[in-house]
Amino acid sequence: MPKIESSEKLFFSLLGKRMSDDELVDIFPVAKAELDGHDEETIKIELNDTNRPDLWSSAGVARALKTYQSGKIPEYPFFSRKGDEKDSGGRSVIDDESVIGIRDYSIGFAARGCKVTNELLIDLIQSQEKLCSNFGRKRKTIALGIYRSNLIKYPVHYSAVDPDKTKFVPLGMEKELSLREICTEHPKGREYGYIVSDKPLFPYLYDDNNDTLSFPPVINSDRIGAVEVGDEDLFIEISGPILEDLLLTASILSCDMYDMGFEILPCKVHLSKDTKYGRDITVPYYFQDEAECTIDDVEKKLGLKLSADECIKALTRMGVEGRVEGNTIKIKCPPYRNDFLHAVDVIEDIMIGHGLMNFTPVMPSDFTIGRLSKAEEFSRKVKSLMVGLGFQEMIYNYLGSRKEYVERMHVSEENVVFIMNPMSENYEVVRPSVLPSLLESESVSAHAVYPHKIFEIGKTCVKDDSDVSGTVTRNTLGFSVSDNRVGYNEVSSYVNTLMYFLGKEYSLEAVDGDERFIPGRAAYVIYKGVAVGIFGEIHPQVLESWNIEMPTVACEIYIDKILE
Amino acid sequence: MDIDVKKLHPLEVKLLRHVPLGRKFSHEDIMDELGYKVGQCNQAFSWLEAKGLLKEVSRRKRTLYELTEYGVSIGKEGLPAERIFSYLKENGAHTLPEISEALSLEQSDVGSAFGLLSGGKSVRLNEERKAECISSELPGQVKGQRALLDKAKESHLLDEAELTQDEKKTISQMAKKRGALSSPFKLVEKEEIVYEMLPEADEVKKELEKAHITGEEFGLLTPEMLLSGSWKNGTFRPYGVDAPTSRLIPGRTNAYGEYLTWVKDKLTSLGFEEFDGPLVENEFWNGDALFMPQFHAARDIHDVYRIKDPVHVKYIDQPWLDQVAKTHEDGWNTGSRGWGYSFDHEFTRRQVLRSQGTVLSAHQLTKAKVPGKYFGVVRCFRYDQVDATHGADFYQTEGIVLGNDVNLRNLLGLLKMFAEEIAGAEEVKYVPGYFPFTEPSIEVHIKHPKLGWFELGGSGIFRPEVTKALGIDVPVLAWGLGIDRMALMHLGLDDIRELFTPDIEAVRTRRGN
Repeated sequence: MPKIESSEKLFFSLLGKRMSDDELVDIFPVAKAELDGHDEETIKIELNDTNRPDLWSSAGVARALKTYQSGKIPEYPFFSRKGDEKDSGGRSVIDDESVIGIRDYSIGFAARGCKVTNELLIDLIQSQEKLCSNFGRKRKTIALGIYRSNLIKYPVHYSAVDPDKTKFVPLGMEKELSLREICTEHPKGREYGYIVSDKPLFPYLYDDNNDTLSFPPVINSDRIGAVEVGDEDLFIEISGPILEDLLLTASILSCDMYDMGFEILPCKVHLSKDTKYGRDITVPYYFQDEAECTIDDVEKKLGLKLSADECIKALTRMGVEGRVEGNTIKIKCPPYRNDFLHAVDVIEDIMIGHGLMNFTPVMPSDFTIGRLSKAEEFSRKVKSLMVGLGFQEMIYNYLGSRKEYVERMHVSEENVVFIMNPMSENYEVVRPSVLPSLLESESVSAHAVYPHKIFEIGKTCVKDDSDVSGTVTRNTLGFSVSDNRVGYNEVSSYVNTLMYFLGKEYSLEAVDGDERFIPGRAAYVIYKGVAVGIFGEIHPQVLESWNIEMPTVACEIYIDKILE
Repeated sequence: MDIDVKKLHPLEVKLLRHVPLGRKFSHEDIMDELGYKVGQCNQAFSWLEAKGLLKEVSRRKRTLYELTEYGVSIGKEGLPAERIFSYLKENGAHTLPEISEALSLEQSDVGSAFGLLSGGKSVRLNEERKAECISSELPGQVKGQRALLDKAKESHLLDEAELTQDEKKTISQMAKKRGALSSPFKLVEKEEIVYEMLPEADEVKKELEKAHITGEEFGLLTPEMLLSGSWKNGTFRPYGVDAPTSRLIPGRTNAYGEYLTWVKDKLTSLGFEEFDGPLVENEFWNGDALFMPQFHAARDIHDVYRIKDPVHVKYIDQPWLDQVAKTHEDGWNTGSRGWGYSFDHEFTRRQVLRSQGTVLSAHQLTKAKVPGKYFGVVRCFRYDQVDATHGADFYQTEGIVLGNDVNLRNLLGLLKMFAEEIAGAEEVKYVPGYFPFTEPSIEVHIKHPKLGWFELGGSGIFRPEVTKALGIDVPVLAWGLGIDRMALMHLGLDDIRELFTPDIEAVRTRRGN
């Protein structure tokens, strides 16, 4: 979930008024936001909707709240659309065809008329970060640069260039580096260079004077790309492989900046290839389709009959312009949003706009029969027998280390399910057996009064080629007894008692070659001709590996196999 | 007086009644007179001392000589010197090895005994190197030893204080402190303590007499007493009914497991049927079927555990695969515009550990009945640093409700029911939420009597992109409850890792509130 920090001064000025924390807590849910903290001059906000990047900025949250409270949809007059191009005043970006397959698009727009203050700069950098890292998947699909427009000679060129021959002084450094050098020597290069480093040519942005703007998506130049407090003329550039994501990002940022007091100056973009919007577009560009839902859908989904008028009013509070055509509500998506995939998305906005508190809860009236799973019912029977036999039920984690599940058990790892990307070696194996869990208990419980009689009914997982997944998850009973006099006979008696009361006739077969047990003192439990479990005296070499100084016997039974 | 005479132990009672005020007594006295064992004396003395009824008067060191088994046997059969002397008297002169052979004595014993006898001028070696008697009397030293053995015959014990100087000298050669197996005596140094009763004991004694408590009352009722009827001839000693009890270790269910069981029972009582599934899932069910785009940030490598081998599931069941893929690409016939990207058929087969319980709700859709209510309390795995609030694996409680006419207000009703029945909520508040697979989405916050306001769960109506692609044409309410927090509170814990602790003592002593 994205979290933002907003300067109190900036936030309340965008909102047009001050609000108390209590008022904020009450109103925030309409933007699926939560007040995460408010100290001195900073308001911390957590945003829950990962499909609404327009809300990840002070201006975005303020806009949603202001619109909700005022019922007035803000206007953004600078958007071009197909057949309605705004004046680009000679500003343009030319994407060269060489970027295709490398990083297909770069688009931009300019803004002026508002002196960049410290708070504003921090806020802009934060928006840039949130959009690029969360929405843009750590700059992979969206990278955004802010430049000093007054230093740029348009048109701006976007090309793929030789990474070894192209050099410039990157922001934060003093000497000229080649693009390839930046990838290894500049901190941002080490962080983001991988996105393009395997390409034959690297993306490069420069103006008509051959002055560098940036090496997207990595780093700006130290001159045109070094925006400072006091600047008034800015150029915003966005690059990435998916055009709609870039257009939406440009729209979000232009609306935010407009709300902050900037004048938005459109810019013509000559794309690297033909798109559904054409080859030449003017940015910011309104690209969204209309969405709709029927009034019947609203009632069916929300369980409340709302009039067309009520629906339109609710949508307006959400900043969504709607109109009624017969039984259908058609909406114009706000330029900074692109999350209306389905009628249900429109309906949700109607729900929030109408106010969730206006929907009274009603119990579902269908009659259904409650039922536990067969495995759960059987497990409970087993559990009650184990408790009756004096055992303490344990509950263990299912992830552990190779050391615990393989090495200390003296078993082969052939059938063990490993995690490819473990976070730490402590959690890199899915438990193949309950026995290591029980032995871990023994290894940490020497202080507890003996005898120890413990059990768990839980899941274990091993490789099994007969399943499409190549693995099988088994409901497994494991139990162990540790005491200074304990042996095979005792564990065999428990198995016998358990199976008797479960009504399962079984036979035993000597185990050969299982290093977990003392040879000649372990048996397979055979039920209907199949081995459904194993038990015996734990081998001292295993006990030693676990640092257990008490003789231990243990048993494991795959209860799914005796369930039928 | 603050001593309840009924709570006194019979060992105390008998002692109190037996010893008059002013008398000085020791362990031995009481062992002789009341037949107590040493341990019983120790118990009775220390209990009474702690109660302020008895005090130590003095203690002195005593050196005692205990007759060993060897001492007993030579006392009866004779000292080696005595036996050799009488053998020679009866059978005439013999060589030392012959004597050793005839009397079954070690050569060394014969040697040292001969030394004694010849030193005392009772025997000598003649020209043939044979031993022969030269006197009719045993040497004084041997006689001294004999006298000591005889003196110890009855009590097996000699007190150094009662021995003469000569006797002391003799016995010191016959005794050893350690390794006394081959010596006639073992030297034991003891401390003898002398006690006397304090004046308060007299009051207690009077109380005991008044209450007719003799210390001879019955303790345990035995089968023999029942059989013989002897119980009729006495009274039973009253017990201190509030005496500390000994610890029992029962077979028990796990307190956390018990809580989960309770939640399951609650849900079945509300008409829900349980589902479950394997731990190893694949990207298809873990994300694609829930309409999470494959490029979604939450599906990065650092958000889900992948399986090393096999990396991929062999195949995904149809028609679900094609329908879900189409839905992602262009919405298929779900009424959605889709995500507008090209569905990755290899990625979708990638195997992962189930990261959310909703996965099983998706599975359930393909086999659900309408109307239907389903739930699962299932283990999930999240790619997170393990700490007090994040476990490597943990339980999630999730479920779905299918019905021709279920809607948002039913969802709110359902949440209210959970809030009241399962969480015991005092107040319920709903706020819009966000989940990729539900629209609308609702979070339910509750005011818990102990925990205050917190988020009980997330819920919503499954997106048609989820349900239609999995063959369901009716609305489906989906919900998940965060019961961990309530479980922790129920168990009086504040660290989620404690729920899964391997520590046997911690689990044994844990109970639910």
